[in-house]
Amino acid sequence: MSAVNEKSIGAIYITHEIKRQLNESTDSNSLHGFFRDDRRFAVAQFRVKDLMVPLEEYATVPAGSTLMDAMMALEKAQEEFIHNKHRHRGIVITDTEKGVIGKLGQMDVLRALEPKENDDDEIGNLGQFGFSAAFIRNRLKQKRLAATPLKDLCRTVAKLKVEDFMQTLSEGEIIDEEASLETAIQQMVVGNHLLSLLVTREQKIVGVLRMTDVFAALFHAAKECELTPA
Amino acid sequence: MKELTTLLDRIGQRANINLRDLDFDVPSYTLNLVPLDQMVKFYAFYGITPHHPLDFHFRHSSLAGSYFLGKCRAVNSILYKSDIRGDELKQKGDVFRHKDFEIPILVDEGIEIEDSFLIKTLVHNFSHDPKTLERFFIKDTVSAHYANIHGSPCDGCFLGPLATVDLTTMHDSVIGAFSYVQTGEIAHLNVGPGTVWIRSPGEFNFLYRHPLHKLDDYVSFSAGRTPQGFIVDFVEDRKESFQKVFDVVNIEPSVPVPRNASLDRYAVIKPKTQIGENVLVAQRAYLQNASLGKGSNAQENCYIVNSRLSGNNVTAHGAKIIESDLEPNVFVGFNSFLRGRPDCRLTIGRDSIVLPHTIIDIRKPLAVPSEHFVWGLINNQHDLKSNSMAFNDFSKIDSELVQGNLIFEGQGASFVSAFRERIHHILEANGAFFDGTANKGHAQRNQRISFNTIQPYPDGDLEGLYPTIIIKP
Repeated sequence: MSAVNEKSIGAIYITHEIKRQLNESTDSNSLHGFFRDDRRFAVAQFRVKDLMVPLEEYATVPAGSTLMDAMMALEKAQEEFIHNKHRHRGIVITDTEKGVIGKLGQMDVLRALEPKENDDDEIGNLGQFGFSAAFIRNRLKQKRLAATPLKDLCRTVAKLKVEDFMQTLSEGEIIDEEASLETAIQQMVVGNHLLSLLVTREQKIVGVLRMTDVFAALFHAAKECELTPA
Repeated sequence: MKELTTLLDRIGQRANINLRDLDFDVPSYTLNLVPLDQMVKFYAFYGITPHHPLDFHFRHSSLAGSYFLGKCRAVNSILYKSDIRGDELKQKGDVFRHKDFEIPILVDEGIEIEDSFLIKTLVHNFSHDPKTLERFFIKDTVSAHYANIHGSPCDGCFLGPLATVDLTTMHDSVIGAFSYVQTGEIAHLNVGPGTVWIRSPGEFNFLYRHPLHKLDDYVSFSAGRTPQGFIVDFVEDRKESFQKVFDVVNIEPSVPVPRNASLDRYAVIKPKTQIGENVLVAQRAYLQNASLGKGSNAQENCYIVNSRLSGNNVTAHGAKIIESDLEPNVFVGFNSFLRGRPDCRLTIGRDSIVLPHTIIDIRKPLAVPSEHFVWGLINNQHDLKSNSMAFNDFSKIDSELVQGNLIFEGQGASFVSAFRERIHHILEANGAFFDGTANKGHAQRNQRISFNTIQPYPDGDLEGLYPTIIIKP
């Protein structure tokens, strides 16, 4: 589904298509415990494919790209936001042979600019050599203060490779486009994949199901529920 | 050789069981480290002196090329060209002091090696563990080439090549290649290669880690391979000279040796070497154009080449000194590798202390000032600046210091005094202060020593193993 219009509610964006389906719905299986018991909503009828962002509209970069390439791709996707209606916060990493191999979120970019975790591990390991907890805390603090990663930002983002910081795919974050919204929510919550799931059609990744879109659908449904007298 | 193969498998299995928490596979490292056919080529030998207990017990073991002195026991073990030197063991009637305790020694202490495989390893000193004062045990342990087990009971451990464990009881731990540990006690720890760790709980904690990309040039070790690197090559290039010394039954010193000095007949002495008074030269030491001033010593596996030691210089086990000049009272720690060049010599100032496992390898002349600590890996003046410190400055540390790869926590003054006291004790034990009547040490006591040789089964299932041998006065 590709939406044709959108309305912003703070950080939540609801497509008109979702609203139409919500309004026209007369029967559905409820999301137990989330809505009032005596109301039934069409939201439960949604399939993953109704809410996902198609891959071709998502920011993507090929493997081997630098962090700068990824940020440029994200900016480009944001510029097209007005036209394709999806605010982008993440980047999908693709490989010519393997297809999608990972994703990169804003937190991953920030993490890439932080002092290396290995350095932290090395200092943390001082405990096994008998150094005091206060000494180790002090070393970690000094290491972070001395790191000043933003000082060389330009050089850093042009050097770091996306593969080194992307989240590689795990079994729990793949979902079929025909899966129900309930399944998707469960998968997000249980698997702790808070931001997005990758959507497959015949085992090929074709889109991204973002938490923000899922939440928007639920929010809208809940709001309709509040406005309608029981 | 069937039994020897079974024994090697058994030792590897026992060590693995102890190291299972660390996921360390001992046999993958020991595989082909020493071809078993070498085990029949070399005799073992033991020393007899009036100053040390004569008490040897060898059972179901291979002892090829190994040396024993004092009270020693080897059971179900393979000792290859190792030195089991029991001339500093505690004796009945001694009193061991630990903190506020004064513990009487009821029987002579013995070195007890069981189910272990030691390759070209030095075992020396005495157990510093107050819980096992009369037993210096080495059990279910494997050590690679030129490791030092110094005053350190070990149970279920692996020591990489040129690793040293000093005055530390070890359980179920791995000490990486060229690492030095002196911490009192460790358990279930995997100490990475090139770590120098000296700790006295409550007083100081010194930790230096060699940069591995540089250390690999000097010594490296990986599963399935023999030890590699400049230091290993340096030693291997000179092993022919030792073979000649071991092949000859009676050998006379090739240089004059003062009456109060000791030159072991299993040391290699090349031309232009000078031995001063109260000097101790241990077996497997290698001296070439070396001048050892009064009270100096060269311990096992030390190499002193084209160098001058002015006097009271301690060259600890495994240290190498090449094209260098050492002023009086300089201490060179275990396995240190000091290499100047003919046209750019290394000079070390009076009283300075080269900490254990230090590498100084220079292409331009370099002078270490007097009364300085030196540590780590030094190739030039710039490295020296970050890897040295005057005793006075070190003594001022009252909480912590981070300098280059060194991390230090505690009281610098305690560290300085601990080293100075220990060096004084070493000189004393070696007989450096002997005045003709008092202060006898190894240099005087080890002068008159006889050696007996023992041999393994030459063929059959027991080929390479030694029969059970018990030697008493």
